Amino acid sequence: MSEIKYLETHEWYSLTENKITIGISDYAQGELGDIVFVTLPEVGQEFSKGESMVEVEATKTVAEAYAPMDCVIVEINDRLESEPEVINTDPCGDGWMVKAEVVNLDDSGMLYQEYETFIS
Amino acid sequence: MPDSLVSPLHNYHTSQNAKFIDFAGWSMPFSYEGTIKEHNYVREDKGFFDVSHMGRLEIQYNDIAILQTLICSDIENLQVGKALYTIFTNNNGCAIDDVIFWKFQDKILLICNAANTLKIKEHLITYSISFNDVTNSTALIAIQGPNAIQIMKGLVDIPDSFSCLQNDQYTYARTGYTGEDGLEIMVSLDYVDELLDYLKSNNISPCGLGSRDTLRLEASLPLYGFELSDEITPVEAGLKWTITNKQPYLGSEVITEQLKNGPNKILKKFEIDTRAIARTGTKVSAGESGGVVTSGNFSPRLQKSIGFVMFENQPSTDLIVFDIRGKLVEGKILKKRFLN
Repeated sequence: MSEIKYLETHEWYSLTENKITIGISDYAQGELGDIVFVTLPEVGQEFSKGESMVEVEATKTVAEAYAPMDCVIVEINDRLESEPEVINTDPCGDGWMVKAEVVNLDDSGMLYQEYETFIS
Repeated sequence: MPDSLVSPLHNYHTSQNAKFIDFAGWSMPFSYEGTIKEHNYVREDKGFFDVSHMGRLEIQYNDIAILQTLICSDIENLQVGKALYTIFTNNNGCAIDDVIFWKFQDKILLICNAANTLKIKEHLITYSISFNDVTNSTALIAIQGPNAIQIMKGLVDIPDSFSCLQNDQYTYARTGYTGEDGLEIMVSLDYVDELLDYLKSNNISPCGLGSRDTLRLEASLPLYGFELSDEITPVEAGLKWTITNKQPYLGSEVITEQLKNGPNKILKKFEIDTRAIARTGTKVSAGESGGVVTSGNFSPRLQKSIGFVMFENQPSTDLIVFDIRGKLVEGKILKKRFLN
């Protein structure tokens, strides 16, 4: 897999050929606190860049994860339905949310170092 | 950001990597290790909360007769050494604040919500009740959980449930806001470190306001500004049991009328069999009745979504439909408490 990149809205994505895997950053999960419920999109659903894809319910608040580029969902992480807390424990690994096929490539996300400066 | 007030335990919270929230002008810990973890400490074992942001006013005992005309409960006939949960009402019988009194021989300690401290002070001044505001010269710490009392026995004499005691260092009561047994201890700044050391040496974990909120919700306890406000009476909030004052008090005619004929709006508990949270402000319908969620969150113990909803009138069915950001989700009204 390619390097993970981050958005200002705290999603991460990793791009492999024409597919992206998307989740929320460790910083985002930390800010949200305990995640208790995740509403995932359906396979086949299309999203434009910036459109809300996933709803994340934490005890503190509800947050959304936005599409980092135009894409079509090809796989969702079913495990999050019964174990949403995986996003807290492993946000950039087992806590991935969706995989999608890229429709319009926009690889303008920040590398970790830049993101780290952004959040600090 | 304007300077927030901080608790005498602020440095300790920082040392524990607490996440802070601004609450009623105070910067207080929201969580340390995570809300659900802290929730479970209190439900299953023990934990402590810094609630020093809550207002603490010492009232002269001889003002008790005036006090009786401002609240819906009978404090005059309450035994000395007892604690009392009650509501200051306005002329419409609605809640100015819900508070706890600790009744001592020489004084009555009033503990009010942080957001209402100023309002309560002004209210007392209006009715010529003199008080000593000790909010900034003390800390207030709540030690809660099934194992809390066992540990606290090593520090203080344990009062009966809903009773209060005081010694040279601590003024405290066997009260709380979590549905668990425990103590709430007021301590002067001179002794706060000693108390903190005792809690630390007994491995009592700090818990933040996040878990305090999920615990109080699971325990079916109201929160001012949500289930109670200056537009909601104790009858409407399902707090009839607090209405024990037989003498006239502010708004008592409205409350008596509601007790007789039933209130217009009515607070109900609900549960949803999924984890979809119906948060504050979520619109609901139950048959012909409409309502709005006052508080809603995930219950770590029940592993489902729970909360309170204020209906415009008594609903004819227990089935509720929630409009959660455009998505319709079904739930039901609960007649019993969330936890048995």
